[in-house]
Amino acid sequence: MSTFKETMLKISNNDMYKKWLKTAWPYVTGAVLLSLFQIATLASTGNPWGVSGVFANWGAWIYEAFGGSVAKWYYFSSDGAQATLENGFLNHAGSWRNIGIILGALLSVLFASQLKIKKIKSKKQIIAASLGGLLMGYGARIAFGCNIGALFSGIASLSLSGWVFAIAMFGGAVVGSKLLVKFFM
Amino acid sequence: MQEIVIDCLGEACPVPLVKAQNKLKEMNIGDILICQIDHSCAMKNLPEWARTDGHNVEVDEVDDGEWEVVIEKVK
Repeated sequence: MSTFKETMLKISNNDMYKKWLKTAWPYVTGAVLLSLFQIATLASTGNPWGVSGVFANWGAWIYEAFGGSVAKWYYFSSDGAQATLENGFLNHAGSWRNIGIILGALLSVLFASQLKIKKIKSKKQIIAASLGGLLMGYGARIAFGCNIGALFSGIASLSLSGWVFAIAMFGGAVVGSKLLVKFFM
Repeated sequence: MQEIVIDCLGEACPVPLVKAQNKLKEMNIGDILICQIDHSCAMKNLPEWARTDGHNVEVDEVDDGEWEVVIEKVK
């Protein structure tokens, strides 16, 4: 056996490797880390943690790159929103954080050697994913946040709106689960 | 004793779990259900559910990001 293979085998059998990189962490560990990092996010950027609002900015930047203008759109009409757009992608903390989430997720899968490009099983999956994505994106914008910005950060900042969001999301999840069982079983 | 394989490759949570639950209901005690999955969250919730329900469970990592959850129906 080559030394490279031997080393790899040694790593994959190592208890620390299995515990920290191979096996999924317990839910409680994840919850505690998320809480700590959202405090760090609020303290360092001055804004609570959000994910989907960033995508609206990405959309605006792409639209502007093709010569469009969102200056008159109600959603981007505030001075704050305009300033964020003018400062650009490179100066936008939320954009870097989202890129970090994507790269971090990729890295964790690579470390666990679980990367797999999955097949699309049916046309139904494409339709459901596109429809679901559109509804989530649209809903998150008119609710001023997704399950991170409105729910997680809302509750973390002791805001009642986070709990209202939670109740509505629970109802939506029940309906969604029924639809899932109906169309995907 | 029967061995049944269900192909859940390319299915996202909670589809593999619900499929396994439905299949297991139809099976006899002692039968083996093999669920092929490639969604890491199913690798967590499927064995967890089957163990709490009292069945014998084994997880095989058959390839990068691909698992077989083997469930023996006990009751």
